[in-house]
Amino acid sequence: MGLKSYSRARAVHVMLVYTGGCNGCDIEIVNAVLSPRFDIEQYKIFLTWNPREADVLIVTGPVTKHNEEPLKKIYNSIPNPKAVIAAGACAVMGGVYKNIHGDIPSDEIAGPVENIIPVDAKVPGCAVRCEDVLAGAVSALPKLLEAD
Amino acid sequence: MMNKNNNSKRQIIETEISMGPVHSAALEPYRVRLFVEDELVKDAEITVGVNHRGVERIMEGLPVEKANSLTEKICGICSNVHLWNSVLVAEKGLEIDVPERAEYIRLIMAELERIHSHLLYLAHGNEVLGHETFSMRLFYIRETVMGLLSMVGGNRVQYGCSVIGGVRPRCDLDEMKIQKILEGLDSIEKRVMEFADRFISDPIIMSRITGVGVLTKQDAIKLAASGPTLRATGVELDLRREMKQYDPFEFNVITQDDGDVKSNLLIRVLEIPESIKIIKQAIKDLPKGPLTNRNWEMIDTDIIKNYVEAPRGKLYHSYALEDGRIRGSVIRTPSMSNIGAMQHACIGTHITEAQLAIVQCDPCFTCTDRAIKIQYTPLSKGEK
Repeated sequence: MGLKSYSRARAVHVMLVYTGGCNGCDIEIVNAVLSPRFDIEQYKIFLTWNPREADVLIVTGPVTKHNEEPLKKIYNSIPNPKAVIAAGACAVMGGVYKNIHGDIPSDEIAGPVENIIPVDAKVPGCAVRCEDVLAGAVSALPKLLEAD
Repeated sequence: MMNKNNNSKRQIIETEISMGPVHSAALEPYRVRLFVEDELVKDAEITVGVNHRGVERIMEGLPVEKANSLTEKICGICSNVHLWNSVLVAEKGLEIDVPERAEYIRLIMAELERIHSHLLYLAHGNEVLGHETFSMRLFYIRETVMGLLSMVGGNRVQYGCSVIGGVRPRCDLDEMKIQKILEGLDSIEKRVMEFADRFISDPIIMSRITGVGVLTKQDAIKLAASGPTLRATGVELDLRREMKQYDPFEFNVITQDDGDVKSNLLIRVLEIPESIKIIKQAIKDLPKGPLTNRNWEMIDTDIIKNYVEAPRGKLYHSYALEDGRIRGSVIRTPSMSNIGAMQHACIGTHITEAQLAIVQCDPCFTCTDRAIKIQYTPLSKGEK
């Protein structure tokens, strides 16, 4: 483990992007990261809102067409190595919004997240459970720590 | 938006601060343009639409039971009230009598949700204020309500309590659940009141929030604000007073006079004990009997409309039924009618407080993006 990985392991920064979900997953994740009950900071994972500071990107929501460009921009401005977690049914497979009545794709949705940026870990659930978010964030760590 | 001082001369403001749609200060994607002069906000413009997913379009043509469960996905904070209202629309159109026990359980869920929504608002408001300690404490109090909701409904966010004709069997309240709810409510009330005491007696916080983001009574009425945002300006208007589900219960409509951030925060604090009072009355008189009324038939109806009081204000759902399928669904969420109030509250504040002035109106932009309107013409009229 190099010096960079050694120090990164002690301060992993997570950034959260809302791409048009229903707010349920977003609040559960903010809760998981912030609230004293599920306190993610005990695993040395911190919340940030600055992409240039972040190591892990958590994406929620089915990615509406308006949100496609901002999401790409945010992904590109995160320095390498980086990991992406798609959290919630919408981010993983489009949720209830992706398809209208079976096979007709919705005009509003560009997602799921996989279509736009590469995804490393997927967290299922509608809405995601805080415990699953913790597990997803921890499972994305090896990629960051083995980079250099 | 017009200027507050109504100058007849047209003012040109050159400095514009634009945030969004994705910005670190704003949790949800929306765009704010602040027109600034000497660090004071002269005009503000909020644009929504980034989140538009077109739930009404997906609902069009679905069987009514399926579409009702879709309305839950409109908002992750007040999911239960969306489902409740959508089910009420169907029940109004099909003239279904709901068993009393089911009505009481729905109401208990709605009030629990109001407590959780208000606590989330207070926690988020304190975070924007910069007071992390209060924010953390409130998030911790909120976990108690979330525990109660997931115990009754089985999920922390979307509990799917109401079905047409009653409630889901999973949401029935037995002795053990009732005991846990009562214990939880007592602890919430105690801790919220402790928080309120410390919050009000803190001179630093009070000086930070008093007189910031003022919305006058006239402006609030003119801009069609609704819910606690309207009541914070002194207008005593609560839809719960007019809903027949709330008739058996005694509760006060809380109002505040100033319409600033302080009034908005306090009104939500004071509404929590009122909600607890309603839940306790409902649990005390919880009638015995069946959970669902299955004795109804599907008929074709014209457009049916219904309003309920959501945690954020007036919520409107309407649709027509044709062969048991939904036609021409229209949904208007309370944050939609509060956008004008948010823009107006920004004007005159310092630039650092503009975000606070927006947050004081309790925005939920993910449920606001409902720009779609499906024109509905009944088949019988179309043939003529």
